[in-house]
Amino acid sequence: MDTETSQPAIIEFIKVNKIYPPDVVALRDVSFSIKAGEMIFLTGISGAGKSTLLKLICAMEHPTKGLIDVQGRELSSITPAEMQLLRQKIGMAYQDFKLLPGLTVYQNIAMPMEVTYTPNRTIKDRINYLLDLLNLTDKKHIRAGKLSRGEQQRAALARAAANYPPILLADEPTGNLDQDNARLVMKLFDQLNRAGSTIIIATHDPLILRDYSAAQTLEIRQGELIKNDTLDN
Amino acid sequence: MKLSAILIQTVRNLRQTWGSQIMTLATVTLSVLIFSFFFLIFLNLKHAGIRLGDNIRLLVYLDHQPTAAAQAKIRSEIRSFGKVDKIVFKSSRDAFAQLKRQLGPDRDVLDDFDPEFLPPFIEVYPLRSLSSLSHINNFANFLATLPGAQKVQYGRGWIERLGYFTQLIRLILFLSGGLLVLTATFMVSSTIRLTVVSRRPELEIMRLIGASRSYIQAPLLLEGLLQGVLGSGLGIACLYLLFNWLQHHFNGPGLFKLLQLTFLPPAMTGAILSVSILLCTTGSIVSIRKSLRL
Ligand SMILES: Nc1ncnc2c1ncn2[C@@H]1O[C@H](COP(=O)(O)OP(=O)(O)OP(=O)(O)O)[C@@H](O)[C@H]1O
Ligand SMILES: [Mg+2]
Repeated sequence: MDTETSQPAIIEFIKVNKIYPPDVVALRDVSFSIKAGEMIFLTGISGAGKSTLLKLICAMEHPTKGLIDVQGRELSSITPAEMQLLRQKIGMAYQDFKLLPGLTVYQNIAMPMEVTYTPNRTIKDRINYLLDLLNLTDKKHIRAGKLSRGEQQRAALARAAANYPPILLADEPTGNLDQDNARLVMKLFDQLNRAGSTIIIATHDPLILRDYSAAQTLEIRQGELIKNDTLDN
Repeated sequence: MKLSAILIQTVRNLRQTWGSQIMTLATVTLSVLIFSFFFLIFLNLKHAGIRLGDNIRLLVYLDHQPTAAAQAKIRSEIRSFGKVDKIVFKSSRDAFAQLKRQLGPDRDVLDDFDPEFLPPFIEVYPLRSLSSLSHINNFANFLATLPGAQKVQYGRGWIERLGYFTQLIRLILFLSGGLLVLTATFMVSSTIRLTVVSRRPELEIMRLIGASRSYIQAPLLLEGLLQGVLGSGLGIACLYLLFNWLQHHFNGPGLFKLLQLTFLPPAMTGAILSVSILLCTTGSIVSIRKSLRL
């Protein structure tokens, strides 16, 4: 569609290389661009470099070579204050969750909203909604460290989605979930996507890939992009 | 950064890490207590030295009663040598009267003596300061060279000992005081650093969700400030209790009665409090900067 191709990319990789010291090549010459409002699946076998790619987008890791643009800003030349604002617009659900075990589910999910000074009422309503959607309401005041892995995974997703982020990155979001819970998670993504969020889901969950067989995918193998059927191409 | 957000975050931090918080608090309290205790001893010794000095005088025995003109000359000579509180000339008759007073009911033994058989003398009261007391030896040697002086008398032994003692105490105090300030600063800043390190995951998440520098640092800073206020306050309070206990238990006769303990003056207490608070806050800033590398 013409209107879509004329839209600027929200995420763009230009010949990005990532080498973990001393010499682990995680990504090699990766170039792609993603437009605002798309939902992309990032696939590839274990160790292919999916997590690395997502971490580069949220600037948790930095590229060894190449350029990364997010929301029109080149990440290596961004000021700390701009980086901070940018990060508030990216929700990331980490593969290892990164929940704070000593805080309750509620407190964990509230963190990104507190950082942006969301009023308490709004925080409460949003968390109640998310917990209800993800079937976690009864764990609201349980410490995150006491949850099962599947519950932690959903809590991490709720935290990533809390602020209606323009960009949502989900690393293996259904890895620990049964089919029913996995569908709940996908429902959350669909909702956010319809509301305008750009979503990248790293996964090798065959069930999801079957449900969304028509979706756009990026596939990497040993750090190289081997398939790109995003609308751009 | 909203104040309420800082407060909420700080309370949450304190609840999360109360173990190491108590450790830091104890460290601060103990350091302040030890240091201020040493300081209290030092101050009291200094006061004691001055009070003992009240009773110190040098007696210069003369071979004859000096004339008024000679007296004035002697006065100016003494004053040009060192700082003196008071110089009093006593004639032979004064000395006789004084001896009589001292003998009290036995004064009849003096009845057969010539009221001028005692030599006239000068009473010299040195200035009551530690430094002039420690130089009393030189002073006595000088007085012996005055015209007509036969003998100079004073409580040589214990004055000298007091002088050496206070000098020694002063040296020990300066050394241990310096050592204490150093160790206290080091301990406080490393305890705070431990807290910050143990909170790395939390700080990392905060950074990743786009929390501003001040949002992350303000609660930690407030925490350092609280540690400083509570720790030094507790330390001084403990010192006060200790002081009261000492006063109660050594209130009997003897050395302590003589010393009459005094507590730290308010200005000194204030200085100790504010320096500790400053150290804690700086300690937390330094360790936050070091561990966060934002
Ligand atoms: N911090 C690191 N230091 C060194 N090597 C790393 C680091 N993180 C990842 N790697 C390596 O980089 C490569 C890509 O890792 P990555 O985590 O991106 O894979 P992945 O596609 O997410 O795998 P999985 O599906 O198992 O999560 C792997 O070979 C991995 O061992
Ligand atoms: Mg991964």
